[in-house]
Amino acid sequence: MIEELRKKAEELLKNDTVKVVFGYGEGSVPERTRPVFITKPEDVNKLTWNKYCVYNLTTYLKRQETRKLGKPAIIVKGCDARTIIVLLKECQIKREDVYILGVTCDGVGDPLATKCESCDVHTPRIYDDLVGEKKENKEVPFEERYAELDEYEKLGEKEKWEFWQKQFSKCIKCYACSNMCPLCFCDRCIVEKNQPQWIDSSAHARGNLSWNVTRAYHLAGRCINCEECQRVCPVDIPLNLLNKKLAKEAEKNFDYRPGYSVDDELAMSTYKEEDSQEFFK
Amino acid sequence: MSKKIGVFVCHCGTNISATVDVEKVAEEAKKNNPGVSYTTTYKYMCSDPGQKLLRDKIKEEGLDGVVVAACSPKMHEHTFRNASKKAGMNPYHVEISNLREQCSWVHPDKPTGTEKSVDLVRMMTEKTRKDKSLNPIKVPVTRKALVIGGGIAGIQAALDIADAGHEVIMVEREPSIGGHMAQLSETFPTLDCSQCIMTPKMVELAQHENIKLYTWSEIESVDGYIGNFDIKIRMKARSVDLDLCTGCSSCWQVCPCKKIKSEFDMELGNRTAIYVPFPQAIPSKPVIDRENCILMKDARKRNIKPNDSKVCRKCLDSCPIAPVKAIDYNQVDEIVSEKVGAIIVATGYKELDDTSMYGEYGAGKYKDVITGLQFERLASASGPTEGEIQRPSDGKVPEIIVFIQCVGSRDPAKGCSYCSKTCCMYTAKHTMLYKHKVHDGHAFVFYIDIRCAGKDYEEFSMRAIEEEGATYLRGRVSRIYKKGEKLVVLGADTLTGSVVEIEADMVVLASAMKAQDDAEKFAQKLSIQYNKDKFLSEIHPKLKPVESSSAGIFLAGACQGPKDIPETVAQAGAAASKVLALLSADELEREPVVAKVDRLPAPIFSTCIGCFYCQRVCPYGAIEEEDIKARDGSTIKTVAKVNVGLCQGCGLCAATCRSKSVELAGFNDEQVFAEINSVEFN
Repeated sequence: MIEELRKKAEELLKNDTVKVVFGYGEGSVPERTRPVFITKPEDVNKLTWNKYCVYNLTTYLKRQETRKLGKPAIIVKGCDARTIIVLLKECQIKREDVYILGVTCDGVGDPLATKCESCDVHTPRIYDDLVGEKKENKEVPFEERYAELDEYEKLGEKEKWEFWQKQFSKCIKCYACSNMCPLCFCDRCIVEKNQPQWIDSSAHARGNLSWNVTRAYHLAGRCINCEECQRVCPVDIPLNLLNKKLAKEAEKNFDYRPGYSVDDELAMSTYKEEDSQEFFK
Repeated sequence: MSKKIGVFVCHCGTNISATVDVEKVAEEAKKNNPGVSYTTTYKYMCSDPGQKLLRDKIKEEGLDGVVVAACSPKMHEHTFRNASKKAGMNPYHVEISNLREQCSWVHPDKPTGTEKSVDLVRMMTEKTRKDKSLNPIKVPVTRKALVIGGGIAGIQAALDIADAGHEVIMVEREPSIGGHMAQLSETFPTLDCSQCIMTPKMVELAQHENIKLYTWSEIESVDGYIGNFDIKIRMKARSVDLDLCTGCSSCWQVCPCKKIKSEFDMELGNRTAIYVPFPQAIPSKPVIDRENCILMKDARKRNIKPNDSKVCRKCLDSCPIAPVKAIDYNQVDEIVSEKVGAIIVATGYKELDDTSMYGEYGAGKYKDVITGLQFERLASASGPTEGEIQRPSDGKVPEIIVFIQCVGSRDPAKGCSYCSKTCCMYTAKHTMLYKHKVHDGHAFVFYIDIRCAGKDYEEFSMRAIEEEGATYLRGRVSRIYKKGEKLVVLGADTLTGSVVEIEADMVVLASAMKAQDDAEKFAQKLSIQYNKDKFLSEIHPKLKPVESSSAGIFLAGACQGPKDIPETVAQAGAAASKVLALLSADELEREPVVAKVDRLPAPIFSTCIGCFYCQRVCPYGAIEEEDIKARDGSTIKTVAKVNVGLCQGCGLCAATCRSKSVELAGFNDEQVFAEINSVEFN
């Protein structure tokens, strides 16, 4: 599979379909990989593919440094491809400006990442070319997809509040979560707006709460739960728990799962008469 | 910038002062608030002396910010802004603190009501501090109007505007103007002939030098905004050249397709494939019905141009115009563009025709169960029976007719909860017309209530019962079935508590007035709101009854809800007067409370990232895309831009924007932030 990936990348660079290939390369130790940006056909041997390719490379589609390299081909797993669909829907990329090199995937991480446990996108839902044997995307029941919330949802309101107060108290406002998030693509984040300053950026309880809650809200109905925010958090805040909870609410209320189809109407900007109006109570 | 703010607390008679200690509110407004230099209370701030007080104090005290603590800004914001403008202050430094609707009317307890009022006033004082001067936006106006729909509503509105000297463009999708009113026989409550009063208006419109008429045409798209609409009109292929045709009738006399159901006669009569819908049609020039014309059918089947088909060319051959014939089989749809400043929507209604809804009445199954409009055609002198009441099945003059009211109206079980308003009157009229034409005939009417509120309406319906001998039975009909030549109507008379069985010759259903089938799609095309029944919505049911939710678009007639002719004509006149006010100057002033997407110096250019959530949520289609270009012409980024002509200042875009790149003038971030932060949470 690695060979096939390299061959495809080489071809794309040689015939000038793309200027750069975003992919995974070997890391400093065998259990790690790191992102590589291949611009020359002779460098394609740097590409690799294994179960440690957990990262969501689509975050590089938003960054100025990598955008400057020209039209990219990007290696995406099924889950990463969902991000691409959201980015297309939110006008952040044009379909013709990115070449999607999909890979089929049985799950990544060692032990297996949480996101892979209820995976229903073993084969990407969008791609230009596919590497690996096509796998069936079996529908996973609603409850199973949100099983990781079971424990959390048993908590009472007060306990939830205390849980998050404790978690957020660890936050050092490094903003790694938003830097890594492929869907946090604003040129100026709301946290940087200081006239007036809606979100207190100093590292105390109130500031931490408004930052983390605002971040989660801004991802509601958009987040595809790639878990990158949680992975990069240096103080181990379970950020994906918050994201997943909001994703569940979005699906429950608006019957919407982001990143499944480019034809879907975005939950957060589409009004439907049958929309749940529970919040009026 | 420090401001000298004046706080004026209104008693609103006792509306506010009964449950709010207004003196204390005024006193507290000043306390610990050096910016507030003057406070007072007054019994009625909105009264003339109240406004004078405001004006005088602005001048005497040198105020540059005002908080009026009174009722909802919906009521008097305008009043106080105008007053302050007269006193030389920019009106957008006036804020209203709503003590009535948001406090005194909902909190009966005086101490807590007072406490909340103090908070509400402080919030507005803090907002006022951040207020910026705003100036009205000037928008150029194209002094021309578009009227969509050529029924009585559209005709009246178009004539009113044209008579005042402005150009009017009328678009009608049928081959002729006239609408439903042209189909009616007589009109209530005077029983004058509908066509006799309608056709002079149609002729006047056709001959009016200020009116340009597009029939057999539809609105393709509406772009732009108040004062500056760009309209694209699809002129459907008529297959007849309107300039050359003289309407001599030779073509439709020779047309071999004679068995096509006439839409105008509600399918009770026939027409040809090349036809004018009715004798007084305007323009009285034919159109070829491409669905049914055998030549067109042949061309479609063989996938050739119609002119290459030689199946039938009778109409062309009969056309006496020379050297170029007035009939052109190959004509195609044409799109024309027009620019207008205002639009009147007068697209009318449609009679309920979903017979499956009332299977128990046998509509669609029994020929002699007909609708109200079909009865109109039977009773009309220009109708298929030349005004003689005959059963559609065998042409027999019916001895007993049963009229059933509220078919499709007031029936939530069938999804129509509203009252169609006109049916009580037209059914009363039908019984009279029947009686006048068939002297020994008997009319039975099943009704739920008789609703005849209107000038001379009650007298009219009483006349039907008392003088013309119609039998009114209060109750519904459960079933109609056929027995020999008769229709047996099974119903209940709830006043006597008995079951009624009538053997009738004909049944007339007072079918509901429904929104047009494409009303929803059409409303979306124009970005105007509609209700659950797909009738177009006015912006305020009482105080702005002809304005749609989009500025510059007005409503007239039954497209807004069931209406009779007098009401329709009155509303058309009202809509026309709104249009005339709009077209009275070359420029119009708009409220400056509009949204704006930020623009910054390079390299950011705008914090907008172009996700266009704002565009998706904007109900007015006011968000456009703008490319920010580099010097070499390449696009750096595509961002959102607000069209101030279209923006109504609802603020949805500002609320949706994640990067806070959109602000609403008069409600900008600093103002709202100051307002929120002035509240002490505990």
